[in-house]
Amino acid sequence: MDTNILTQIVFYFFAAMTVLSAVVVVFSKNLIHSAFALLFTFFGVAALYVFLGADFLAATQMVIYVGGILVLLIFGVMLTHKIAEMQLKSETFQFWPGLALVSVVFLGLVFVMLKTTWHSAVVQEMKPTTAAIGELFMTDYILPFEVASVFLLIALIGAAMIVRRRSQ
Amino acid sequence: MNPQILKDLQAFYPEITLTATLLAVILIDLAAPRIRQATTFLFTAIGLLLALALTFPLFAAKSGTLFYGMVALDPMAVFFKGFLIITSFLILLVAPGSKEIAKEHIGEFYTLLLGVTLGMVLLASATDMLMLFLALEMVSVSSYIMVGYLSTERQSNEASLKYFLFGAVSTGSMLYGITLLFGLTGTTKLVLIREAIIHGAGDGNNGLMLLIATIFIMAGFGFKTASVPFHFWCPDVYTGAPTPVTAFLSVGPKAAGFATLIRFFFTGLSDTAGSIWGFFPAMNWALLVLMISIITMTLGNIAALRQENLKRMLAYSSIAHAGYILMGVVVLTPQGLQSVLVYLITYLFMNLGAFMVVIEVYNRTGSFELNDYRGLWRRSPFLTIAMTIFMLSLMGIPPFAGFFGKLYVFGAAVNHNLAWFAVLGALNSVIAVYYYARVIKTMIIDAEPEGAQAPPISLSWTSHILMWAMLLPTAGLMLFWDRIQEITSNSITLFFG
Amino acid sequence: MIGLSHYLIISAALFSLGIMAVMTRKNAVNVLMGVELILNSANLNLVAFSRYAWMNLDGQLYAVFVIVIAAAEAAVGLAIVLSMYRLLKSVNLDKADTLKG
Repeated sequence: MDTNILTQIVFYFFAAMTVLSAVVVVFSKNLIHSAFALLFTFFGVAALYVFLGADFLAATQMVIYVGGILVLLIFGVMLTHKIAEMQLKSETFQFWPGLALVSVVFLGLVFVMLKTTWHSAVVQEMKPTTAAIGELFMTDYILPFEVASVFLLIALIGAAMIVRRRSQ
Repeated sequence: MNPQILKDLQAFYPEITLTATLLAVILIDLAAPRIRQATTFLFTAIGLLLALALTFPLFAAKSGTLFYGMVALDPMAVFFKGFLIITSFLILLVAPGSKEIAKEHIGEFYTLLLGVTLGMVLLASATDMLMLFLALEMVSVSSYIMVGYLSTERQSNEASLKYFLFGAVSTGSMLYGITLLFGLTGTTKLVLIREAIIHGAGDGNNGLMLLIATIFIMAGFGFKTASVPFHFWCPDVYTGAPTPVTAFLSVGPKAAGFATLIRFFFTGLSDTAGSIWGFFPAMNWALLVLMISIITMTLGNIAALRQENLKRMLAYSSIAHAGYILMGVVVLTPQGLQSVLVYLITYLFMNLGAFMVVIEVYNRTGSFELNDYRGLWRRSPFLTIAMTIFMLSLMGIPPFAGFFGKLYVFGAAVNHNLAWFAVLGALNSVIAVYYYARVIKTMIIDAEPEGAQAPPISLSWTSHILMWAMLLPTAGLMLFWDRIQEITSNSITLFFG
Repeated sequence: MIGLSHYLIISAALFSLGIMAVMTRKNAVNVLMGVELILNSANLNLVAFSRYAWMNLDGQLYAVFVIVIAAAEAAVGLAIVLSMYRLLKSVNLDKADTLKG
């Protein structure tokens, strides 16, 4: 399946979409453009998860990241700008040194990653993962599962607490 | 339910108590405004004390991991459990007395305090990188909220934003490092990571990747313990946050950060041969931590010299102390570990005590500037003497607690042929004398500004009791010396699988 | 032939872009987007290693938890940003610098 030429084309398409929309997120002067480009990045990552056989994860990514976090971010963008100022340019500072540094980091990471001999496992047929993940949640990963729910509760209360209008 | 899980729950009572208290406080906070302030306080206090009481029996329990290798139950985890719950309890007692904590929805503050305590306790015992990251984020996110508690105060808000942005990037980088480590070893459990590295996962070309992964992971640890170069958030956040929260941040999450740093390096990345820990040839992490320790203590001390704001000065002071604590980690011996625990105990009391004085002065004068501490001797001899003792202890002057902490840490370094390291630490302590002594001088010797004389300060009896509770261990640590020695030397055992 | 290195390069790119956003953008919401990029890059790493290097589900489980944590963090972060906006009528990080660095 991995050698199928059509698969490769689709993979490169999604990979390009992910990286290019991330570039737009980072370098666009318009905040709304950044937010919508982020949508494509998340979508691209979900597609890559599908390529990696992580079906449950891809669905979770779409639902939570796109349906939750991205919507929240867009709300944030909308609520913190007057509508008339939607073309507001977000100023950047120290752009070129930052770009240089980040390029060095990127190239360094890629270099080391390619140089490392990664363990390679026998790649099996892709199976649906949802049932297995569900079972792991209730056995091996039960403690993080429960702790994560308390964590979400606290984040919920805390976020509401910060934003609540104080009666002054 | 799985019998293994049921059995593990029996060793998990402190955490269960914390969670139950958390849920109870959330519900009680929905009650009528008149009763909920006192009731939530009472429930939180009882919950924390109960959790503490349930921690003590765990000292005698058999070491092992719980919940399929997610958290460890060993003496060090139990020590930190007790230490962190005590820290939160003390902050609970201090918070209502401070003018900076709005009373109206203080139940939510208690909820966050309980949540962050649960997170810290889990962080100190996590043996799986997933659990570690989850607990770390739990502590961090709760801290971001606590710092921004005064959401109508600009400084508090700004501090919260800076803390959040810096923290999110640091923990995100740490996560990236964890993924690289996962890629190298195929597991997230610390003991299995160690085995994988022993069997060659980090050899040859992979050594570079291992080093990079560890450096990224250090970003998270450095952030939590406020070590250089991840300390930039510290002064601004400490200054902008409500002072009880600052006091909490300077001890609680920092100690939890050290606990997990120790556990990560000692059980994840070292090779035990008897009682001396070695390190892998591929990765000399001890050298890395050594450099961080030196830079941290030096930068903290030098930056503190110029500070006029007491909270900011104490922020840099706590950065410097993190450097001293790291010294105990670098020395790869049981004595080194014990010195870290001793230092943390002394640091808890002297640091909290200093912050308590700052809170009291702020309540009366509304200021944190050193200039407004002039003539405190006349207004409140008790506060002045208390602050003097805390400052002397932070300097490391005998017979106060701080001296013993430094003695242990420097001693551990000397005993491990790192005498030059101890000398550097001692030199740093000498530099620190200047800014601690300046506070004492301002309080006692400096003349008050001309004009109306400010009235004398009298403390409520609760404040008196709390201050004595901090003073006794700081000034009288020698009396408890045997007990502390005993507890800390029993607590340095880590679970190695 | 698509292999592990393809995914690693993509994730390194996302990570670097995320760091770039955090370092150079002045709008707080933009910086938050950068943080999300970093977290996504780590997730991609996890799932790629999970499939190609070790053929287990640990990486995917971890990624689910990271998504959960990212959601909570984003919610709290945006609450803080919103609160600051109310106080300052701006989320420009230059204006949020009264605390002496």
